[in-house]
Amino acid sequence: MSGSMITARFLTAAVVLLLGACANNVVVHGSFPTPVLEKLPYTLGVYYDPDFRNHEFFEEATSREETDWRVKTGEAQVQMYNTLLPGMFEKIVILNDLPRRDRVAAVAEEQVDAVLVPHVAELQYSIPNHTKINVFEIWMRYRYELYAPDGELLADWTMTSYGKTPTAFLQSAEAAVNLAAVVALRDAGANFALNFTRVPEVKLWMESMASKAKESTAEPGDTPNFEEDSP
Amino acid sequence: MRIRKFLPLTCLLALQGCVTSSVDEVLYRGTEANLGDASVVILGRRHASDYETEPDFIECVGDHIHSADSSINVMSELEFMNALYPWFEPRTAPLRPEDIERLLQVKPVVAKLQEMKTEYMVWIDGETIRTEGSGSMTCGIGPGGAGCFGFGTWGNDSHYEAAIWHFTDRVEVGRMSTTATGQSYMPAVIIPIPIIAPVQSTACDSLGEQLLHFFSAKY
Repeated sequence: MSGSMITARFLTAAVVLLLGACANNVVVHGSFPTPVLEKLPYTLGVYYDPDFRNHEFFEEATSREETDWRVKTGEAQVQMYNTLLPGMFEKIVILNDLPRRDRVAAVAEEQVDAVLVPHVAELQYSIPNHTKINVFEIWMRYRYELYAPDGELLADWTMTSYGKTPTAFLQSAEAAVNLAAVVALRDAGANFALNFTRVPEVKLWMESMASKAKESTAEPGDTPNFEEDSP
Repeated sequence: MRIRKFLPLTCLLALQGCVTSSVDEVLYRGTEANLGDASVVILGRRHASDYETEPDFIECVGDHIHSADSSINVMSELEFMNALYPWFEPRTAPLRPEDIERLLQVKPVVAKLQEMKTEYMVWIDGETIRTEGSGSMTCGIGPGGAGCFGFGTWGNDSHYEAAIWHFTDRVEVGRMSTTATGQSYMPAVIIPIPIIAPVQSTACDSLGEQLLHFFSAKY
């Protein structure tokens, strides 16, 4: 290898390193607890769309003193829901496709009662560029869709979550933003777990599921006979 | 030799700022003389929008109690919150002892609490804030070396309140509070010398001591 080639490669590597040094890249990592709940007697399909799986937010530096921030939350979001939902429902099936009327068979094969599709609808944050201390705040608004196996939209609702770095003491900025994101995800999970059954459309769906179950378990002999009153 | 050993410690003690603290206590029931194998959990309140009780402070109070009386089983805050997720998160935690009733309607929660043998729950609410600060300091670096010159001072205020809930009886059995204030200084002639007032740790020791009197048979 010639000397000029080695120099060129070295320069390229140095430029890449310098460019990397200008941005803070954080891939959110955390551990999420399994919820302590009475499980709902349903098999729930879950579909994480590519936007959700790869969710990230990017803050571009506005001055030379500031740095760019890229925070990838997608992996942690999926990890949190994959821990939360099995603690809430009897069975969870991860689906590769969104239920649609033309793909009923694919979803029906999985024998799911409904399909949940979570989205991050909005995200707001404050980073040290704004606050000057290593305390980050993240606020998220989730939009959830619940589909019937035939693709019919059963419910569509939103929920919020909030997370703040618990302490600024001896923390790197990256660790601080990671902690704030983990706190926000825990809050999202808590809000979803305790309020899912309170969503009016979800309540209606659960009632219809209960009456269907009742009908299917009732034996023909159990059907009440109505006698017409003779005049 | 002994003098040399103690000299840094003496200097460190001499360089601490002064702190004044006070404690207050109301008990609705007698102190607990025998906890047996039951456990106590100390939790921080984080539902307010403008402040959060620091997790370090909660850990400090728990450590203070357990180090003074190792027979008291103090559960770590995070361990407890994880074991009972999502019932003790900032948005879902019970705010009144009567709210425990709602928790006890969930069978897995009851089983978990029985397994953990939680008898008392201590909710600590408060924070340490930095108050007025003044002074200025300039630092420079040159071929001959680096150094700072100036003087800075600031104050810290701690205010914490602990509410003790008896888990089985679902009642509040006592309330304690502590306040601590202190002034820290930082003179700098080439090297900055921080003279820090240990305000938060004084508040932690005061509250920890009060709780120890409630829970420990030794005190």
